[in-house]
Amino acid sequence: MTVRCLGVGAAAPRTRLAGADVAAAWGRNPTGGRVAVCPPDEDTLTLAWEAATAALAAAGTDADHVDAVFWGTSRPPFAEGPSLAFLTAALGCSPHAGGALCAGSAHAGMDALTTGADAVAAGSARIALVVTSDALVPGPGTAFEGRCGAGAAALVLGATGGTASIGARVTRCRPHLDRYRGDGEPVLRDLYDARLFREEIFLPTVTEVTNALASFDVRAWSLPDPDGRLGSVVAKRTGAGAPASSAAYAAVGDTGAAAALLGAAGALDAPGLVAIVGTGGGRTTGVLIDVETPVAGAAKVIDALAGDEPMSYTAALRARGLLEPTGETVPMGVPPESAMFVRGADEMLGLLGGRCVDCGTVSTPPSIHPTCIACGGPKLEPVPVARGGRVHTYVVNHTMPAPFVAPLPIAVLDMDDGARLMLQVVGDGHDIEIGTRVQLVLRKYAHERGVPVYGFKARAARPTGAAS
Amino acid sequence: MSWNKVAVVGAGLIRMGELFDQSYEQMAAGAFDAAVASVDKGFEPAQVEAAFVATQRGTLWGQEGIGGNTVPTAIGLAGIPCTRVENACPSGADAFRVGAMAVASGVHDVVLVIGVEKMRDKSSEEGLLSRAAAGHPIFTRGETAPVLFAPFATRHMHEFGTTREMLASVAVKNHYNGARDPYAHFQNEVTIDDVLASPPVCHPLHLLDCCPQTDGAAAVLLTTAERATEFTDEPVYVAGFGVATDHPYLHEKDSFTEIKATRLAAQRAYAMAGIAPADVDCAEVHDCFTITEILDIEDLGFFEKGEGGRASLEGETSLTGRIPVNTSGGLLAKGHPIGATGVAQITECWWQLRGEAGERQVEIRNGYALQHNAGGRGSGVSVVNILTNKRA
Repeated sequence: MTVRCLGVGAAAPRTRLAGADVAAAWGRNPTGGRVAVCPPDEDTLTLAWEAATAALAAAGTDADHVDAVFWGTSRPPFAEGPSLAFLTAALGCSPHAGGALCAGSAHAGMDALTTGADAVAAGSARIALVVTSDALVPGPGTAFEGRCGAGAAALVLGATGGTASIGARVTRCRPHLDRYRGDGEPVLRDLYDARLFREEIFLPTVTEVTNALASFDVRAWSLPDPDGRLGSVVAKRTGAGAPASSAAYAAVGDTGAAAALLGAAGALDAPGLVAIVGTGGGRTTGVLIDVETPVAGAAKVIDALAGDEPMSYTAALRARGLLEPTGETVPMGVPPESAMFVRGADEMLGLLGGRCVDCGTVSTPPSIHPTCIACGGPKLEPVPVARGGRVHTYVVNHTMPAPFVAPLPIAVLDMDDGARLMLQVVGDGHDIEIGTRVQLVLRKYAHERGVPVYGFKARAARPTGAAS
Repeated sequence: MSWNKVAVVGAGLIRMGELFDQSYEQMAAGAFDAAVASVDKGFEPAQVEAAFVATQRGTLWGQEGIGGNTVPTAIGLAGIPCTRVENACPSGADAFRVGAMAVASGVHDVVLVIGVEKMRDKSSEEGLLSRAAAGHPIFTRGETAPVLFAPFATRHMHEFGTTREMLASVAVKNHYNGARDPYAHFQNEVTIDDVLASPPVCHPLHLLDCCPQTDGAAAVLLTTAERATEFTDEPVYVAGFGVATDHPYLHEKDSFTEIKATRLAAQRAYAMAGIAPADVDCAEVHDCFTITEILDIEDLGFFEKGEGGRASLEGETSLTGRIPVNTSGGLLAKGHPIGATGVAQITECWWQLRGEAGERQVEIRNGYALQHNAGGRGSGVSVVNILTNKRA
């Protein structure tokens, strides 16, 4: 059965770490380039949400029409836990949505893509959402540290419609170690021997898979490039020509499990064959996409990866959890495993309100509003609160205990459906005032007892080219 | 015609401040002794028939569960009925109202209302700042106390052209008054430039727009209007009171230019006292932040909505202004030991109505003083008490 591509989306943090700053910290020769690094309130799940939201919007697909979600990320937010359930709830998917979480190496993105395509081909999903994301956490001082970035790409697949289809695929497995992380280890280990990795592990398998696909008339390539050089070496050895993926690598760095699809997403903007090659964990897979006319959303990919907010190396270490303040941090009033989170799980992740059947007012969140705040009516129906609105009033809190990071803007918002919310605002508050147009984006509010706490924050709307 | 069924016959407090050297119980005993000593014709502690204790944040000294029942032992009256009243920042004001109702009901003839609060036994981070992590995991996260009032400042400035100088003028006036109050935490004057140049705490509020964290205690003695003259020839009567609630979360508010609970509580108190805002000679109002006092003096009916900032800057609320506000220095200078705050404000009203406020004394023309607190997350509750020196 044909597997069609209905829409594509991408996301990346707006903050950038300069490779030169990383090199300087370790007394190495300066290297160029910048990579995207998550601020403390973004991670692989929020990036996945943002890319998936963009892809669904491009495809014109409601989240609750998605039959299955396939999420590939080398490091899901829970080593064991409800990572995929959190993502589907935040996206607004049906509670009956199927799918799978693919994890454990940078190959997880290719696993998600092939498994999602197979689900549509098999007829078990009419619409499958493939999401690939990563926010790499390299070991400080390791060889690839300055190239480790963060980003996400998502592809909506369906049995019909769309303007492209999934084609041939090839996989090569070899039981070799490359970069890896042992059980319970927080960061990726450095390569044992960089030359050994290059000549005996990376190049042989990636070249073999690339050569297999090169027998087709490939117009654009997404090739793995973990160090800023290996991608062009593969291209040279296989005659593939300059890979289209170099634009994404230049914008955000190596994005692990997201790199292969992210490197191809922008190339879905023109007719012809696009080849996607991804590698990691001893496996390399290549997939062809046959583009007839531009895939919806592809033209917005590069804009979605834009970012120019500088982040220092120490700030990056802090955001990655590798530099922690001395002393105790203030714990949440209720533990994230407790009853309040069980009661509020759907309404927090899905940002639900209770719409009054009598007067239409939306009271938020429903679990603490048995009656309408406007008329006292007892009949409320759960609805997702509008994701766009304007700042009614705001503050910027400069006086915060750890683990909070100041300055922290907080705004009261008039949402487009008439609901009122008070939420944290992304950034330092310089871009908001009364009346500022905002969009809600999923962010991480806290991380405590191993549990990331997610919810929506407001972000000043970009004038053009918004990813969400 | 005012209510006037209950009289204040004694009132006192301890010097407010960072009282690292005093326990909760020692502060309570100090305030009780001061109230007893203030009774003109003498008062025996054993005359107290029941006590109402206001303590809002027992967590700040490790006693969230109790707090009320340590007070009778501390003041040598173990055995008496004693009830803790907690109603957010108006806890002291509401304990006073509850105590007055206990006397008016005929159950008790002589009642002690005492507010005690330990704010500094825990560090700022563990104490008030930890509020930022309390409550709803998302809708209140990051919500330190200034976050509950600064959005009103942003909006008041936007709608009425209120300026940071107008906000600062409140701090300048209250520090001026505090410098003349021997019980105040801060007894130094500040200038508008000092306030403007102080570090930002929560935009648009800066450090001197905010009240300090203060330990303190205050106590008043209540009896029936009929028995008041057994204790003093100059009793102060409870003319009326009002309490109101509003939605507690900020995103539920109708307006960010008024504290609705204050407007409703004031309407009820004025009706009970049979007076109008113009009859009030002086007022102790809730100035946890400068913007709060500007909202208060509008919502209490002293000034038109939107005029509070201008009126403050032009001195209409100073000791010699049209309506002197926070003659004690207010929360900004005297301090805000939460449960004690309302009771300490009652004490200031008692002194003003009896002509005992010294350098701070204002002209008492009509014989009415007003006390007010608001609080409870996004000002979900407000209490107004009105006192008078007129028997009928």
